Amino acid sequence: MARTLCVWYPEWTDDEEPPDEAFRRFEKVVRAVEELVPRVEPAEPGLAYVPVAGAVRYYGGEELLARKVQEAIPPGARVGVADGPFAARCAAERADPDSRFIVEDTSSFLESLGVEALAPGELTETFRWLGITTLGELARLPREAVASRFGLEGLTAHRLATGEDRSPRPRPIPVHHAVESSHHDEPLLAAEQVAFITRALAAKMLAGLQREGLSPFRVLVEVESASGNVRQRVWRSTDPFTEHSLAERVWWQVRAWMESPGGIPGGVARIRLDPSDLSDEGRQMSLLERTERDGETVWQEVEVGRHDAERALSRAQALVGPDAVLQAVKRGGRMPHEQVTWYPWGDRPPDPEPEAPWPGRTPSPSPALVSSSPPPLEIEWDGGIPVRVRLGTRWEPVLSWAGPWRLVGRWWEGEAPADRYQIVTSVGAVLCFVREGKTYLAGVYD
Amino acid sequence: MESGLVAPSWNEVPRLQPGRIVEVSGPTGMGLTRLGLGMLVEPSRRSQVAALDVKGWLSPLAAWEMGIDPGRLVVVRCGDSRQWPRLVAALVDGVAAVYAEVPTRVGAKELRRLAALTRARRTGVALRPLGEGLPSGVAHLRLQAVEVRWEGVERGHGQLRRRHLVLEASGRGTAGMTRKIEMVDDGTDVMRVVSGVDGRRRATG
Repeated sequence: MARTLCVWYPEWTDDEEPPDEAFRRFEKVVRAVEELVPRVEPAEPGLAYVPVAGAVRYYGGEELLARKVQEAIPPGARVGVADGPFAARCAAERADPDSRFIVEDTSSFLESLGVEALAPGELTETFRWLGITTLGELARLPREAVASRFGLEGLTAHRLATGEDRSPRPRPIPVHHAVESSHHDEPLLAAEQVAFITRALAAKMLAGLQREGLSPFRVLVEVESASGNVRQRVWRSTDPFTEHSLAERVWWQVRAWMESPGGIPGGVARIRLDPSDLSDEGRQMSLLERTERDGETVWQEVEVGRHDAERALSRAQALVGPDAVLQAVKRGGRMPHEQVTWYPWGDRPPDPEPEAPWPGRTPSPSPALVSSSPPPLEIEWDGGIPVRVRLGTRWEPVLSWAGPWRLVGRWWEGEAPADRYQIVTSVGAVLCFVREGKTYLAGVYD
Repeated sequence: MESGLVAPSWNEVPRLQPGRIVEVSGPTGMGLTRLGLGMLVEPSRRSQVAALDVKGWLSPLAAWEMGIDPGRLVVVRCGDSRQWPRLVAALVDGVAAVYAEVPTRVGAKELRRLAALTRARRTGVALRPLGEGLPSGVAHLRLQAVEVRWEGVERGHGQLRRRHLVLEASGRGTAGMTRKIEMVDDGTDVMRVVSGVDGRRRATG
């Protein structure tokens, strides 16, 4: 496994800054490192890898090289050097800000790490539960046993633990997997055009690879300007690239080049993507499903079209925009719309709030239709009792109701208290609230 | 089981099957969103599922309560009926199971094309027309809500606890018969069917 140096700015990875903006800043770091060592491979804003075997001989030692790198880039970086990107990243995590952590013996270093150094998730939890707490303990298990019990994910974990990194079987890389798009007649000047083309190219390249069951870990992005300048950069991913993750990274890169001093003079005349480090974790990604068999829990591989779903959702995102393709996590709140935090699909989910009782929460079952800005609802009252409710164009008699339940408003923001009601008619039930004499529709139990 | 979407005993909740469309139709408020989302629960255990929200009101809370993992559900919002056919086709093309509201102005031709794509991609699809029902030949099974009752609330007391939803099932999935099924939903789990409801009668026409 090649000696690899990892540059990591933890606060950039967690930042709330949009990733393309963050990468524009990071591009300067990448260029500064490139002045010293060629072939810097960014993985995300704030994280890049560099193979350093050749440069170490030139600079006279890893410590000297790492120090030079650190002096050339803005403060705050942690630098790790080890065999392979996984170990280098783990080393960088152990370095203090503006200092270096150089691992001489990668196997013993990995052995000492806890299993949580692998991507956190259910598998890590299961390892802990089985008493496997360090990567060393995992590495000592027979690979076949780990693979047969935990499938592909387990196999990858075992490879990482034994210091092989995610290195796939070496394969010849067929040239025909490179894709490019030429615009010499009409170079692309608008950022939107470039974004569209990069997405299409990423999709085309991955589709070609997936037909052979392959996925890339590294992709060379090459852009030729109308004036004939060619710029290249290799991107690396710890997991095989998906269409979404690749299109995003190509776009960050091209945008950073477009907006760097000198830019891409005359516009983009050609974009080319060339995959390398192919893995056979291809077309059908395996997920593990826990099932009970003869009273014992076993992990079964389930074939699901993860790549297909990602491609479909990326296309949906291209059609309606990232703000309309959403996922959500639960949060505390009393009204149903307060209990949901939305985020764009493909973004990192917001941290979940700790589970806590929420007094005054509207009880479940929750309404399936909820408005974040409740519209007015017409209700006819008789001495505080709801009698009729207007649904669309019709007035429906109220058959039964629950409430009022008091909802104390955010008084510090001048919000008045409200009373909640669940109202049942012959065509279903609604959740509404009355505030300052007006009724609003909060949700429909559809 | 190739015999149809609904188990022959009619004691199971209608499930999505690869390559087939289930239509859930009826007035808003009767519980059809929950029924449609409920059909995503089983496929969501294996893969990503998607819900297409036309009115912008769909809440994931109900889906989570039924057991869909938040990481597995993607909600796509689209209020533009001209864009809807392309968007739903993109989803059906790659996501294993899709629940989609259908805007009123989508034409029969687009819906038939969608049915063909659903068959070709073997996606499980539930469609919820917001206007008229779907044109014939699109859905394999049609579930029409005919009656809803709630348990748990009185005149001011209690809280909504359990919904009884009576559906009329028809289409190729019921071999041309019209059947009535009653489903009970207490919000915490997938709905279940109350057995022994009303027998069968021959579909007319």
